[in-house]
Amino acid sequence: MFNLRDFGASIWERSDRKMRVLIALSAIAVAAMLPFLGGTFLNTPVADYGSVLVFPVAIFAIMALGLNIVIGKSGLLDLGYVAFFAIGAYTMGLLGTKTSLNTWEILPIGIAMAMFAGLILGVPALRLRGDYLAIITLGFGEIVRITALNLNAIGGANGIIGIPTPPTIFGLEYTFDNHRLYFWTFLIIILLTIWMIRRLSVRRGGRAWESIRQDEDAAELMGVPTFKYKIWAFVLGASVGGAAGVLYASKTLFISPDNFTLQVSILILACVIFGGMGNIWGVILGAVILGYLPDRIRFLSDARLLVFGIVLVLMMNLRPDGILPRKKREKALPAKDSK
Amino acid sequence: MLANFQDQFLSLTFGGLSLGFIYVLIALGYTMVYGVLRMINFANSEVFMYGTFATVVIIRDLFGFTQQSEPATGFRLFYILLICLAGSMFLSGVLSIFLELVAYRRLRNRGSNKLAPLISAIGMSIVLAEFMRILTDSRYVGSPRVMEKSSIATIFGANLRLDNVIVIVCGLVLYLVLQQFVKKTRLGKAIRAVSMNEDSAKLMGVNLNFVVSGTFLVGGLMTGAAGFFYTLKYENTSFSIGFELGIAAFTAAILGGIGNIKGAFYGGISLGLVETYASFFLGTQWKAVTVFLILVVVLYFRPNGVFGEAITQTRA
Amino acid sequence: MSESVLRLENVTMQFGGLVALNDVSFEIKKQEILGLIGPNGAGKTTVFNVITGVYQVTKGDIKFLGKSLKGQKRYKITYGGIARTFQNIRLWGEMTALENVITATDTHKKSGLLSGLFGLPISRKEEKRDKARAQEILDFIGIGEYADRLAKNLPYGVQRRLEIARALGTNPKLLLLDEPAAGFNPAEKVELAKTIRKIRDAGYTVLLIEHDMSLVMGVSDRVVVIDFGQKIADDLPAKVQNDKRVVEAYLGVPDDAS
Repeated sequence: MFNLRDFGASIWERSDRKMRVLIALSAIAVAAMLPFLGGTFLNTPVADYGSVLVFPVAIFAIMALGLNIVIGKSGLLDLGYVAFFAIGAYTMGLLGTKTSLNTWEILPIGIAMAMFAGLILGVPALRLRGDYLAIITLGFGEIVRITALNLNAIGGANGIIGIPTPPTIFGLEYTFDNHRLYFWTFLIIILLTIWMIRRLSVRRGGRAWESIRQDEDAAELMGVPTFKYKIWAFVLGASVGGAAGVLYASKTLFISPDNFTLQVSILILACVIFGGMGNIWGVILGAVILGYLPDRIRFLSDARLLVFGIVLVLMMNLRPDGILPRKKREKALPAKDSK
Repeated sequence: MLANFQDQFLSLTFGGLSLGFIYVLIALGYTMVYGVLRMINFANSEVFMYGTFATVVIIRDLFGFTQQSEPATGFRLFYILLICLAGSMFLSGVLSIFLELVAYRRLRNRGSNKLAPLISAIGMSIVLAEFMRILTDSRYVGSPRVMEKSSIATIFGANLRLDNVIVIVCGLVLYLVLQQFVKKTRLGKAIRAVSMNEDSAKLMGVNLNFVVSGTFLVGGLMTGAAGFFYTLKYENTSFSIGFELGIAAFTAAILGGIGNIKGAFYGGISLGLVETYASFFLGTQWKAVTVFLILVVVLYFRPNGVFGEAITQTRA
Repeated sequence: MSESVLRLENVTMQFGGLVALNDVSFEIKKQEILGLIGPNGAGKTTVFNVITGVYQVTKGDIKFLGKSLKGQKRYKITYGGIARTFQNIRLWGEMTALENVITATDTHKKSGLLSGLFGLPISRKEEKRDKARAQEILDFIGIGEYADRLAKNLPYGVQRRLEIARALGTNPKLLLLDEPAAGFNPAEKVELAKTIRKIRDAGYTVLLIEHDMSLVMGVSDRVVVIDFGQKIADDLPAKVQNDKRVVEAYLGVPDDAS
């Protein structure tokens, strides 16, 4: 059977360094051109194409990449990933409206807050077996949402309005409907995230995660400090979620607890699984499809989520490893061995 | 407030106990499946939700009750309740078997990665909930009153409501029946055998697919009964009820030690009580937070739940 | 003279009412091959599990190079110098053979996630060194040509050997082999015996659980026999073979005339 992932990988492996830079640059260029495709059949019935590209597509892609560190790389099932997104968004909302800090100054604070939350949750939760982790993280996501809902000091059910846009840079002004500028900003964040994940996945860290995912007991008995690496995966995943939250708040300018329901966690999880757990490109593809599709199929209106559920079940039964599964290929044996 | 609490302590306790038994029955649905397959049947919450609707439909459409109807009494009431219970259990049981066939069997037989069945379960859960949402136009559905909810007795000043008594008594009976079923019957023994060691059970000639279907059926029956009790007690339901109660019941199952029948019992009862007491002091909006904080604390000190795992208590 | 590497002192292991090990004591000396045998369910794998920290002993103590292993984390025990293989092969199937071994060598690395993130020279240097070492180990065990194959696709016998290679990757002072010859044919068993001696000659100490009597008796310097969780013999292979209690344990006591 034709395997798109292996096809792409073999082109990549056959290319030399110059060629690789060229491929990477043209891929980035294509991605950067996406906002100009508006006005075609890609337009969705209700929302403007350009805005769909920013949210949900780009935001989903960032979050899916972050969740992929947790679930795809180290195999930890996190059903409350939305909590970190919410913490980032609320950090932006509160600091943005109550202090004079701007988005770029708040971004690292939001990331740090999310990482801290990841640590607080991770230390008790990651001692537990996988199935329990799922329910604890799910609970954590709900706790964060309910707390936001019931604390009037942070807006309660009304949420926070009037969150500032990012300040103008290089004469480029972030206005509410300047979707292209937002998209390019988010694209840069996506690229940074990809860079981070790729650097982390080679060498010791990547192997440790991989071994934990495949057989945690064996990993620990072979000297892998599993707890430490699980915490790292959790905290790094949280950092990406927090960053996505800050950017999201600075784009929609209005947040409320309704934006951070369990459905978001499940949707992002679905992006990761649907696209192909553990494979960066698969995960992004999953986010693009699942972010874009519900808006595109809005003509199904009420049955949208129903169709989504059916797709999930079918997908898992027919292609449990996603559209672009992680690498399963082996390198060809060295020439001297083949006769 | 404390004096107030003392006044209401007994009626709170009755209410908490009946809520607890609803949790116990749903938790049994999770626990049975987990014990055999080591898998969280995420969609069990929707099995419960369909159970609540079955009772509404039977009361409203089969027996023609409306909001203005006179409540039934005596033998007629007994007969109606029995039909409702049977109907809810039947629908949920069948749905549960169907669920396993559609969403899990294929994945189980091909031994895919651990997460695939869980995602499939989440997908099924979305499908079932959304289907009901569209059917009910996203509204709460009220159930006509079939029985007088006046208190039948007063103990130390606390009112003992008939519906709570029914839930508690029937819940206890169902739990005891299930326990005997697992201990004594052929299918029950096979379920225990598979939960202890799948491979050797297969070697001993246990038909695995049959046992798994049986487990889903039994879990579905218990969960369906919980649906009936819920509608009886609260007199309304909605498509989203599965999620709310399901999470709490799953928490109960884990508290007691998932896979362990006794654990589901004690976990459900204590969660029902704690939740009711906590709501009294903190208000209902913090209910879910209390539940999860309890779970985190318990698991931190006892990672396998209070009673540990495994469906049998007779392990060496 | 020859120093003690590992010492079990009156180890008792209970699971609820079941006594899996009852007051077991023995020691392993440096560069020794010690065979641990016993009928099915006698408690052999339990011995491995208490040594590697999978279970905490109920009573007694285990001393490794004079230090107690009580309460130590499992990965710390490996770091300290004890490595094991698994009776039911537990390789990381979706990694290559080489990666399986490198992951084990990571135990002693200084660089972690962050130095990897920023591509620090220490990380790059260690990476290169360990890759070479992992390949050496694979060659040493005789499966060097399979380095780039995914572990799950390897032939059964190679997987068993890769288990040993991976354990050696952690640079252990004591190597625990849990039925390394399970499922081997006689020719493969002879090969394996050679490999085990080669490992010992390279300076390692080996504790071997094995069902195959000829292999154990042929390769071990000393044999400990346990039955029903109790040690019933501890002697040279030739003597153990003729021990009355050992023969009874394996053949059954002829006193079931009730």
